[in-house]
Amino acid sequence: MYLPDFAYYAPDTKEEAVELLVRSRGTARVIAGGTDLMVKMKQGLLSPEALVSLKNLDGLKEIGTGSGGLFIGSRVTLNELINSPVIQATYPSIAGAAHQMANNQIRHTGTMGGNLVSAVPSADLPPIFIALNARVRVTGPAGEREFPLSDLFLGPGRTSLAPGEILTGVVVPEQKTTGSTYLKFGLRRSGALAVVGVAAAVTMEGPTVKDARIVLGAVAPVPFLAGEAAKTLYGREFTTELAEEAGRVAASECRPISDIRGSAEYRRDLVRVFTRRSLEKAVREGHV
Amino acid sequence: MPDFDVIGRSKPKIDGRAKVTGEAKYAGDLKFPNMLVGKILTSPHAHARILGIDTSEAGKLPGVKAVITHADVPELKYGISPARWDENIFCRDKVRFVGDKVAAVAALDEETVYKALRLIRVEYEELPAVLDPLTAMNDGQPQVHDEYPRNINTEIHQHFGDVDQAFKDAYHVRTDRFVGQRTYQCPIEPHSAVSMWADGKLTVYSSTQSPHYFQYYLAREFGLAMGDVRVIKPFVGGGFGGKLEPTGLEFAGAVLSRLTGRPVRMFYDRHEMFAHNRGRHRQYMELTSGVDRDGRILGLYANFIMDGGAYTSLGVASAYYAGAMLPLTYGFENFKFDMYRVYTNLPACGAQRGHGAPQPRYALECHLDMVAKDLGMDPIQIRLVNARRPNTVTPNEFRVNSCELTACLEKAREMSGWDEKKGNLPPGRGIGVAVGSFVSGAGYPIYRTDLPHAAAVVRVNEDGTSATLYTGAVDIGQGSDTVLCQMAAEAMGFTYESMKIVAADTETTPHDFGAYASRQTLMSGWAVKRAGEEVKAQLLSMAAELLDVDASTLDCRLGVIFDVASGTARLNFTEVARTFFVKRGPLVGKGSYAPPKLGGKFKGAAVGTSPAYSFATQVSEVEIDAETGEIKVAGVWDVHDCGTVINPSLLSAQVHGALFMGMGESVWEQVVFDDKGKIMNGNLGEYRLPTALDMPKVTSALVHGEEPEPAGPWGVKEVGEGATIPTMGCYANAIYDAMGIRLDSLPLSYEKVWKALKEKREQER
Ligand SMILES: Cc1cc2nc3c(=O)[nH]c(=O)nc-3n(C[C@H](O)[C@H](O)[C@H](O)COP(=O)(O)OP(=O)(O)OC[C@H]3O[C@@H](n4cnc5c(N)ncnc54)[C@H](O)[C@@H]3O)c2cc1C
Repeated sequence: MYLPDFAYYAPDTKEEAVELLVRSRGTARVIAGGTDLMVKMKQGLLSPEALVSLKNLDGLKEIGTGSGGLFIGSRVTLNELINSPVIQATYPSIAGAAHQMANNQIRHTGTMGGNLVSAVPSADLPPIFIALNARVRVTGPAGEREFPLSDLFLGPGRTSLAPGEILTGVVVPEQKTTGSTYLKFGLRRSGALAVVGVAAAVTMEGPTVKDARIVLGAVAPVPFLAGEAAKTLYGREFTTELAEEAGRVAASECRPISDIRGSAEYRRDLVRVFTRRSLEKAVREGHV
Repeated sequence: MPDFDVIGRSKPKIDGRAKVTGEAKYAGDLKFPNMLVGKILTSPHAHARILGIDTSEAGKLPGVKAVITHADVPELKYGISPARWDENIFCRDKVRFVGDKVAAVAALDEETVYKALRLIRVEYEELPAVLDPLTAMNDGQPQVHDEYPRNINTEIHQHFGDVDQAFKDAYHVRTDRFVGQRTYQCPIEPHSAVSMWADGKLTVYSSTQSPHYFQYYLAREFGLAMGDVRVIKPFVGGGFGGKLEPTGLEFAGAVLSRLTGRPVRMFYDRHEMFAHNRGRHRQYMELTSGVDRDGRILGLYANFIMDGGAYTSLGVASAYYAGAMLPLTYGFENFKFDMYRVYTNLPACGAQRGHGAPQPRYALECHLDMVAKDLGMDPIQIRLVNARRPNTVTPNEFRVNSCELTACLEKAREMSGWDEKKGNLPPGRGIGVAVGSFVSGAGYPIYRTDLPHAAAVVRVNEDGTSATLYTGAVDIGQGSDTVLCQMAAEAMGFTYESMKIVAADTETTPHDFGAYASRQTLMSGWAVKRAGEEVKAQLLSMAAELLDVDASTLDCRLGVIFDVASGTARLNFTEVARTFFVKRGPLVGKGSYAPPKLGGKFKGAAVGTSPAYSFATQVSEVEIDAETGEIKVAGVWDVHDCGTVINPSLLSAQVHGALFMGMGESVWEQVVFDDKGKIMNGNLGEYRLPTALDMPKVTSALVHGEEPEPAGPWGVKEVGEGATIPTMGCYANAIYDAMGIRLDSLPLSYEKVWKALKEKREQER
């Protein structure tokens, strides 16, 4: 396994980065932490002619709150998500999701933006962000735009980013959700990709579920909003039985495949279990 | 316990500092002037005829210094097992698995090598492949090797006593079937070798478990005298059986070096390690036993099939071991063993920690629990009824001296709280037991020779302040350099802190067969003890001369020579050793060891013989998530009868490491192939070894008999592999206790638990 030849650029501004990507006519790729890209290049799955590194774009490392909500720059690493006091104070469930990823070395290098744009079906951050209604900010040849994160994913490894577009960050809007969490089922305690990942965000009014979003990872080509499952909850008093019912609906909604990590049948049943467990956790423990 | 000064103590590892500071150099770290980098081109097909190889483009690439194929290397077939030499340096007519060796390149740097490999054009005609060992022997199946009809690599039919009569006499007869999977050793250090062939002499630095076997086979392949081949082991980051035999890295590297006149460094990356393999066999195991009313085993019949892969490797021995080790733990008289090891178009399997023993042991320990359930007996009770006694002989003629299996069982029962827990644990929790036994060194070497198994020299350095141990024993991380220095110091009456070591270099150290079959503490230990004692005898005779007393009145401990009767110190080691050198020349002691003649006369009688056997019992407590099948191990209790302990902390590291590997094979590890014979998980992400976070709490204890093991120096026995052996059966039994489900195939994965629970619920409905 050896990296193929490529040209390497580390521009100082976003504009330059976009310019380099545009000029490459689709033969260049962005590199952030490289923990996803380098592996794919070594395996011969990707062979970009040039890499455009974001390492000098310090503006993309920001984490902050403002009128629009919580903003997280795309170059923020997984460990920075975990350790950020701002995230701890707002949505610790995001830190919780990041903490279930990879291992310490990879979390130190891998970035949030890379996790989203890699568009891997089992990626751990998309479910919790989609559950929290996150939007992505991108910049490109046509300027800046912002759209729901759920619209980013087209299929495994495929996103709706236009040629030359760079993900600059994620915005988690202000919201009334009372609890959220992400539960991952991997086959060992560290360094295992998700067999199933389920994020739940709920808005409770007393014992009643006012609103809920359930997002399933690793059981469809893209992270998957289980709309029917969420609907079973609306306006009803939350109980374990209700969560189980939502779990059963989620299981019937998902479209898993069989692969080396688990059969479709197993994944489907795990969706039921983890939908129930994540709902219970979000309802009873808040944003965790 | 006799009192010792140096052994029996947790001395720090002699190479600890070099390793933790990163100073230690492994084969892949070595650099020599003008060194080239080489790599092997491997087959993309499981089975294909080679129609042509065109290396011309690769040869033209700037920086490429040599490109070789089968036309450039000896035709002679090799293998670690002389019973079947079936491998060529490069495939000549056809390739037999995805990863088979086809050609090699040496170039100025790694980048050029990889580019050159891509420029080699090989024309293949794909052939139908044999991937399923269960059908490989059928008529009309493709032939992996023309020389071995019906793809049978090894066929074993052994019968001791009369099993059929035993089953007739039995109160209860039961048959069960189990499957063990292909797993891979996964040493953390990838295989590397630096070869230099100059002036008629071949020198190889390699990450090897046995410089001796490498030297022997390299010499044989290239028609060199053994004295013209030097194999040196630098630091090695684990082997576990996978680095016991020379690979294409040494053979191709040697030829590339001869052609270019330059040192050549060759290496495998992680995926190539998986393809080279030599890991655990996939094994289909059927066991039938007959027991009396008390659960006493009257007879056992083992009927096995093994998937050997494309070549023999050490597989003939693995096949014999699979059956031969079963009678060690239980004292039954009638035993029958049938085995077919078949060729398939998959990577070759070989010896992995515990060699052939762990999977059959898993099968037998599960089977015995099922028999106990049929009889309404407690699992520990049925094992106590059958546990082997000391000073007995197995039906396949292994002589067992010390054996404290009964004490192991009793101690494990007490430590784990078995009696309180069994049947009383909350839902989802269960407790299981299994036992094991292993050789302390193989009774016979891998190829036939009358060489002693181990030899050692101790030279006291001229000023008498230190001594150097020269040994062919091979430290691959397990700590043999440390324990052997402790043993040398003990035998000489010197201190560990004064010891230096030169090891595992065929030119500067005396012969030793190397690190496999848990042999070094006992076998190399004997040689070292004898060498040390020879030093001491000479030292005391010098001291006696200086003091004008009889040497028998003196002894030496921890560097102090004293009068035995009064205990008064008279002289010190250093001054007497220095005087010795001045007056008599170098103070050198030597020792060697060959085991006594062991075993019976039947075919395969040698495999499994050993001067001494270790015994062990493990109890584990598991907690199962009934919805997901996830297995959490709440605790493991391991009790070993491994004889006298030389270094307690290294011993417990061995127990932990072996248990860790056993645990990986129990729950996670399996090399998976697609329907074209390609490995689907040849990386550490999808081939899941447990991590430190997955390690359960382990409580270990040792038991000792009244008499030390007579066959070991100071009474030592093995520990390095023994603790891997019970683990799979122990977990399977604990899972059964927790959930009432019997998993008859390894690994006992979360999904298999989930599926079995689902089926159980459906049945109960
Ligand atoms: C051992 C190991 C374990 C892993 N475990 C997990 C796990 O448990 N869970 C999980 O979800 N992932 C896991 N991963 C995958 C990976 O580490 C993460 O997805 C990580 O967050 C990727 O971030 P990165 O910065 O390294 O991405 P990179 O490799 O730099 O980039 C990934 C992709 O995103 C693109 N990209 C990156 N940033 C931008 C941007 N700002 N704008 C546009 N495109 C961009 C790149 O072009 C590339 O296609 C693991 C990887 C390894 C090697």
